[in-house]
Amino acid sequence: MAGTIRAQYPATLRPIRINCSGRVTPSLMMRALGKGADGVAIGA
Amino acid sequence: MLQAARTPGLNLYTYSDVEEVSGFVGNFTVKIRKRARYVTNDCNGCGACFEVCPAFGYNEFNEGMDSRRAIYVAFTQAVPSLAQIDMDRCIKCELCKGACEVDAIDFDQKDEIVELEVGSIIVATGWDEFEPPTGYLGYNKYPNVITQLKLERILAPNGPTVGHLARPSDGKEPKTILFIQCVGSRDLNMNSYCSSGVCCMISIKNSKLIKQHYPEADITVAYMDMRAAGKDYEEYFTLSRKEGIKYIRTNISRIKEDSETHNLKIIMQNTLGSSGLKELEYDLVVLSAAMVPAIGVESIEKILKLETSQDGFFKEFHARLNPIDTKIPGIALAGASQGPKSIAESIVQGRAAASSLARLMVKDKYRILLIRASVDKERCAKCGLCELNCSYDAIALMDDGAEVNEILCRGCGSCLANCPSEAITLRYYREPQYEKQIDAILEEI
Repeated sequence: MAGTIRAQYPATLRPIRINCSGRVTPSLMMRALGKGADGVAIGA
Repeated sequence: MLQAARTPGLNLYTYSDVEEVSGFVGNFTVKIRKRARYVTNDCNGCGACFEVCPAFGYNEFNEGMDSRRAIYVAFTQAVPSLAQIDMDRCIKCELCKGACEVDAIDFDQKDEIVELEVGSIIVATGWDEFEPPTGYLGYNKYPNVITQLKLERILAPNGPTVGHLARPSDGKEPKTILFIQCVGSRDLNMNSYCSSGVCCMISIKNSKLIKQHYPEADITVAYMDMRAAGKDYEEYFTLSRKEGIKYIRTNISRIKEDSETHNLKIIMQNTLGSSGLKELEYDLVVLSAAMVPAIGVESIEKILKLETSQDGFFKEFHARLNPIDTKIPGIALAGASQGPKSIAESIVQGRAAASSLARLMVKDKYRILLIRASVDKERCAKCGLCELNCSYDAIALMDDGAEVNEILCRGCGSCLANCPSEAITLRYYREPQYEKQIDAILEEI
C-alpha cells in the first residue's frame, strides 16, 4: 500500500506477508499484541 | 456470424439463456435453456407467415419506430434466419400455420434444456445504450430528441424509413441537426466513466454520413471533449471538420421546444469563446448516450460468480496487466462485457480471450500451486461456515465434513480464519509458521 503511493513505512513496522487479508485469524493478531506489539495493521 | 453458423464443429445457441454453470476449468457443465420459437428448424425464413399475421406491435429492433408481427424474424440478417412467435402477442389464430409451405409452425414446442460439457468459457455479453431519464435534455418529452441508436436505425437501409433521414415529429428531413455528447457519461450523477470515445466517433461517423447524403444539412456536435484516440481517428475527425461539420465545446443549459414546429431551441454557451449564452434552433437533436453493461447481465454475473467493477462491467484479472482473463481460471472476457470499447478493440480482446483459453486447453494438464486449503475431517464440525465464506465456491460441505476442490481453491485462507474448530489448514502457510514469525519479530522488543 505505502509502496504504490511512494510513501515509506515507519522503521518500527514489521511486515509479514500473507496470502490474503482473509487469512488473518484473531488468534494471530492477539498473539502479536500479547508479545508486545503496539498495534496490528492489516493491509489489503 | 453467418460464417460462424457455417463452421463445422461450432454450435450456435441463439434465442437461448445460460441457466446454470458448474465445475471448473477444463470441466465446466453448462445448462442452456433453448427458448421455444414455436417454429421448427424446417423454416426457411421466407416470411409468408408474417404477411398473414394480424397481431401487430412494437418492433424492438427498430427502437419502436415501426411495428412487427407476433411471428417474426428478429432482424433482416439474423442468424439463423428462423422465424419465431412472440407468445405474449400471439392471438393463436393459427393463420401462419396455413401460410407456411414447409409446415414449420409448431404451437406445442416447449423450451428445451441442453447440457454441455465445456472446457472454458468466454463472456461476451456486450453493451446497451444508456436510457436517459425522461425529461433530461428533452428526452421522451420532445419527439425530435432521439438517441444515437435510434438515429442509427433511421439511417439504416433496412430501418423503419429505409435509410431516409426523417425526424420523428413530422417525417420531414431535418435541415439543422445537433449531436449532444456525453449524455449519461462523464457525469457523476449517472455514469462517471467515459464510454471510451465510442460515442464521439459514432457522432463523427453519423454526421459525416448525413453530410454525404444531404450536403446542405447544417450539423453541429456539442461536446465536452472530443476523444478521437485510435488509429486514423484524429484524421477522421479533422476530415469531418473540413467537410463543414461544426464542433462546439459547450454545456447545454436548457432545451425547449417550439410547440408549433416541434423544433428545438437550445440555450448553450461556447466554453471556448466569450460570447455568453446563446439560443440556437435545431430541427433534430441526437443524444450520444453512454455505453452501459447489457441489460440482464446480472444473471450471468451470478451464474458464473464473476465480479463487476464500479461501473457495472465485468471485472478483469488486472486492469492493466491482464484485462482479458477473469479471476476464475477458464473464464475470459471479450468486448464490451469488460468495459466500453470500439469494434476494433473488441476484436482484439475477443482474439486475445480465445488464445488465452486455447493456451490452457491445448495442454492436457492444468498446473496448480500447492498452496491450497486442506480439511482435517475428524475435527470438522460440519458447520458450513467455510462454504459460506469462500469467494471461489471451492469448499463444500459433504456428509463427512467439508471438502476442498483444489482446482477452484485459490489458497486465500478465508475458510480457515473462519473455522471455529480449526479443522482447516493452508498448505505452506500454517498457523504455527505465522506464530513463529510473529514471535521472532517481537523478540527484540
